[in-house]
Amino acid sequence: MSLEPAAALEALLFATPEPLPPERLAELLPTLSGEEISAALASLRARYASPASGLMLDEVAGGLRLATRPEAAEALARLAIVRPSRLSRPALETLAIIAYRQPITKAEVEAIRGVNIDGVLRTLGERGLIRVLGRKREAGRPMLYGTSRAFLEYFGFQDLSELPTLREIEALVAPSQASRPAEDLPREESERAAPAADPAAGPAAALPAGFASDPVPEGSE
Amino acid sequence: MVYQVRLEQFEGPLDLLLHLIRIHEVDIADIPIARITEEYFRVLTEMQDLDLTVAGEFLVMAATLVYIKSKMLLPPAEGEEAAIEEEDPRRPLVEALLEYQRFKTVAGDLAGFEERRRRIFGRVAPLEEAPARGPLELSLFDLLGAFQDVLKRAARRPDAEVTPRPFRVRERMVELLERLALERPLGFLGLFPADADRRTVIATFVALLELLRQGVVRVRQASPFGEILIYPLEDA
Repeated sequence: MSLEPAAALEALLFATPEPLPPERLAELLPTLSGEEISAALASLRARYASPASGLMLDEVAGGLRLATRPEAAEALARLAIVRPSRLSRPALETLAIIAYRQPITKAEVEAIRGVNIDGVLRTLGERGLIRVLGRKREAGRPMLYGTSRAFLEYFGFQDLSELPTLREIEALVAPSQASRPAEDLPREESERAAPAADPAAGPAAALPAGFASDPVPEGSE
Repeated sequence: MVYQVRLEQFEGPLDLLLHLIRIHEVDIADIPIARITEEYFRVLTEMQDLDLTVAGEFLVMAATLVYIKSKMLLPPAEGEEAAIEEEDPRRPLVEALLEYQRFKTVAGDLAGFEERRRRIFGRVAPLEEAPARGPLELSLFDLLGAFQDVLKRAARRPDAEVTPRPFRVRERMVELLERLALERPLGFLGLFPADADRRTVIATFVALLELLRQGVVRVRQASPFGEILIYPLEDA
């Protein structure tokens, strides 16, 4: 006896630890046509849009999976699920710079932050939030860093274009309120808002001409 | 040690400067450099006992401030106002401050996204170990587990009836390296042809372990339960 397409899809989205991109779903459900998968997906979307379920369709990093609804967070707190700790301020700043300026070398990040980032870079690498995209063609062939798929997942982005817009500060006027909400901020710097690199593409594809990519970059630090 | 605590509120010299600019409510586009330099040095003196690298970064900034201050003291070159404005010695610093502030702000945004995502729980992947620097980038148990599967497959066919010549591990090592020269990475399962008998399979596996031990190859698994791949170690 065979499972209904939506049921098979639901089972996959329930069991997968990482979001499954549409292409992968097609591979995993070889007996179903593209239309059948789309229809199954639509029915699941409708089903999980309802607050009657504790689960929702989590569409993140270009993929899909089932996850708990944010409203369930308090109920789940008592389960005491162990998760990675929150990122430190230096880690977040470093990650922000890498995300917007990738591919970028360590020295370039340090120039912006004004401090050494060796330790932070190691932490971010260990947590899989950044990856080596290749090496820059300049003296010393420094490594070029970029964000990973895990980065998108961690912050809940579909792709890099969903990063918040980099904006000018209004320190000129009201120095003490640099962290107020975006709506209040007058100017936006749109040309730098969306890094072009496609997170799903391989390292080589994301690199502009002039960068040599490293076939096995990890661990060669 | 009181100073250590004080420093930790600042991510670096730029952060400290932004803080000073904020608390003294000065215009970032027109920083009163003498006053800010004075304030900066006052904090620096309080931070004397600090960690050297950190202090080093703060000192470089101190030097920059003094340099800018001295430039500002020079009489403006003759010429038009516009030319003078273009040469404002504070400009590179202001740009660096604005650039840093942008990322500082966006880091705050990221913290917000992080917080929101922490309310959502998904299935957790089996713990992934941080990629090791050594030749083995998956646990030995994973590798042995994969080998068990291969052995099970090989067990189904009887050993060759004709007395086979002894399988020398060294021979398999050479073969493995030759294949790696042509194809990299090599898939683990691809090492063991479906028709290979048990002895060949074992010799090949021992050859792989020996190459790992010698640090000639490395083995990694891109994702949990993913295919195990064998790479030649980059010539160091």
